[in-house]
Amino acid sequence: MHNNNARPDEPGWMSGLAPLSRRGFLRTAVISAAALSSGCATLLGRGGANSDRRYQHLTEDESIVLKRLTQVLLPAEQFGLPSSLSEVPTVQNIDGMVGQMAGQTRELLGLGLWVFEHRSMASFRFSRFSRLDDDEALRYVNAMQAGTFFERGLMTTLKTLVCVNYWRDARTWPGLDYHGPVTEIWGVRRLGNAPLPQV
Amino acid sequence: MRMITVPRDGVPVTTAADIARDPSMGRRFSVKTEVVVVGSGAGGATVAYELAKAGRKVVVLESGRYFPSANFTEHLGDTMTEVYREQGSQFNSTADVLFVEGECVGGSTVIGACVMQRPPDSLLQRWATELGLGNLAPDAIGPLFDEVGAEQYVHLNEAHEINTTAHKVIQGCEKMGFSWKPVARNVRQCALTGHCLAGCPSDRKMSSLVTHLPWATAYGARLFADTHVQRVLMRAGRATGVEAIVRDPLTGAQMAEMRVDAEVVVVAGGAIQTPVLLQRSQVPDISGQIGRNMAVQPFVQVLAQYDEELFGFRGALVGVEIDEFLESDGYMFFSALAEPEQLMIQGEQGAGPDHIRFMKQYKHLAGLNAFAIDEGRGQVSWEGDAATGRKVISWNPSRTEFEKLKRGASLAARVFFAAGAKRVYIPSFQQLQADSVFELDATMDQVSYGLKGMYSLRINSFSPHGTCRMGNDRFQSVANARGEVHDVKGLFLADASLIPEPMPSAPHWTVQALAKQVARNILDSASGLFLNGKA
Repeated sequence: MHNNNARPDEPGWMSGLAPLSRRGFLRTAVISAAALSSGCATLLGRGGANSDRRYQHLTEDESIVLKRLTQVLLPAEQFGLPSSLSEVPTVQNIDGMVGQMAGQTRELLGLGLWVFEHRSMASFRFSRFSRLDDDEALRYVNAMQAGTFFERGLMTTLKTLVCVNYWRDARTWPGLDYHGPVTEIWGVRRLGNAPLPQV
Repeated sequence: MRMITVPRDGVPVTTAADIARDPSMGRRFSVKTEVVVVGSGAGGATVAYELAKAGRKVVVLESGRYFPSANFTEHLGDTMTEVYREQGSQFNSTADVLFVEGECVGGSTVIGACVMQRPPDSLLQRWATELGLGNLAPDAIGPLFDEVGAEQYVHLNEAHEINTTAHKVIQGCEKMGFSWKPVARNVRQCALTGHCLAGCPSDRKMSSLVTHLPWATAYGARLFADTHVQRVLMRAGRATGVEAIVRDPLTGAQMAEMRVDAEVVVVAGGAIQTPVLLQRSQVPDISGQIGRNMAVQPFVQVLAQYDEELFGFRGALVGVEIDEFLESDGYMFFSALAEPEQLMIQGEQGAGPDHIRFMKQYKHLAGLNAFAIDEGRGQVSWEGDAATGRKVISWNPSRTEFEKLKRGASLAARVFFAAGAKRVYIPSFQQLQADSVFELDATMDQVSYGLKGMYSLRINSFSPHGTCRMGNDRFQSVANARGEVHDVKGLFLADASLIPEPMPSAPHWTVQALAKQVARNILDSASGLFLNGKA
């Protein structure tokens, strides 16, 4: 029997992120309202005390989300590449970058990380992203990437932030057969300033 | 006869650290000069050189830091942190289109890919006849292009400057019957390192850092880095100088307030920063066009994967261009594959094991950037008050522009398939790829315009222009044909903001030619602009 209300089948990796149904929306709204009404500023990435002294600019909540996201996005060791957490200081690199962000960009990042951490609660049994197991976390990331334009944008921003700060480390390059800097190795002579044009 | 000596290396620059060390300068100081130039990129450096050479007292103010070329490490990530504006994250208001710009002494010339293009003569002629801008006619501005070309060592890439990525583009073009040619670049004895976007440590790229700035200082110009111009000062319809804040480039802390009293002010901050400075300064805007008409030359990068190892990141970054569609459709295509980090801003490269597998293919990849001429509908504005406000860049593709970019991406993909690619990655916020040309149309169909084209195609811009367009009608344009802002005597512009309409050419060369023209206009009008009015 044809059912007009049936949704088309979703690919397997999409099944991780159900669109927000009315109930899901209410659930998300309640959680958000609770967070806001409790005055929990750290959830919004602002003003939180930073108990993890390794990070100067990221709050503890933010660093937890970013560490987990780094693990999920970059399972580098499985491919013979340097670990994205213990060898390459990906999250510390992000911390450095965050320290130089303009105020508004910094606030938006904090908000984006909070949304990303909690958006999964609507689709994964009230579980935050950082508490999902590996398979679920990857499904969530892929589903966000294939989601609405807002979800896609948020996911792309966070993914770019994490991946740039991993691949920028020279220790990752031999695994790609990428030569990195060559001027010094090749003994390329510096030419200095160009001569003044003849009038 | 005066002896002019250009330093062998580096540029004499006064930085925030110098000011902090010098108690005589204090927390507030002023400088008197004949000409103050805001910005030290392609336009600002050229104007400074021309005017200093003519004997004028010139002060150049640059908001970015001084990063001598000897300090470049060929690490793109480090360079982005140190000399790219907002660490390479200057976005439009919906945060999905990236506007890449240098913020350092030398501006974007330091991090550019060395591509030099002259606009088609047909376009220059049309600007002359239809817009009444005779100064842009090929016979008027052509000699200035030639002069810049000679100064900048502009030449067509030779055989050794065509790398494997470019060879794939050539193969594809030959099979498709598309016209291609080597790119013209401003580089002297290129060392073929492939690190153009991270700055050239051996001074072969002819950026302002090693050309017009050291030349200008040799003629006596003074250059200040870390100096953020807050507003242009005006009195009785005449520019009288600028106010600026000197900031520590590492902490952003204010080190000093600076005032420059000048008889002529030249703003050359580029098509994004110049209009916001004029707006902050409340420069009269009778036309309402300051910050409007921004053309962005949007581009997308198509990546192709081949069976063989290409190492397409080796050699000169940009090798060839496809010029088949330049005049007919306004497309520009450039071969290029940069550092691994750069791949993150070109498309959706998967997550987890998918992402690592993609990156492991790096040595098998080739890249082709597809630029499309747009409609010039973008806008840059300063929102809020001068001290605490913020810059807003508004540009999202129209449906027509979006479809044009899609077609450009599709053409680039076909070129790569014709050259034997086994997979092509579509520049999208979704993870999309085609494994044969027969899958391409169906894959491209998945890229939909959606809401204002947001978060669909992965679009970047290197070359915005037109935000303070020149023209003869003061109700339709911001500056006159001499580059002087209508209704503000002594306030000149000399950057890509002046370009009157969207154009299908990388603007670097045009900006330098225009800057020379503006400088000579200033000199020609010396009696009306300077107290010491001799030409």
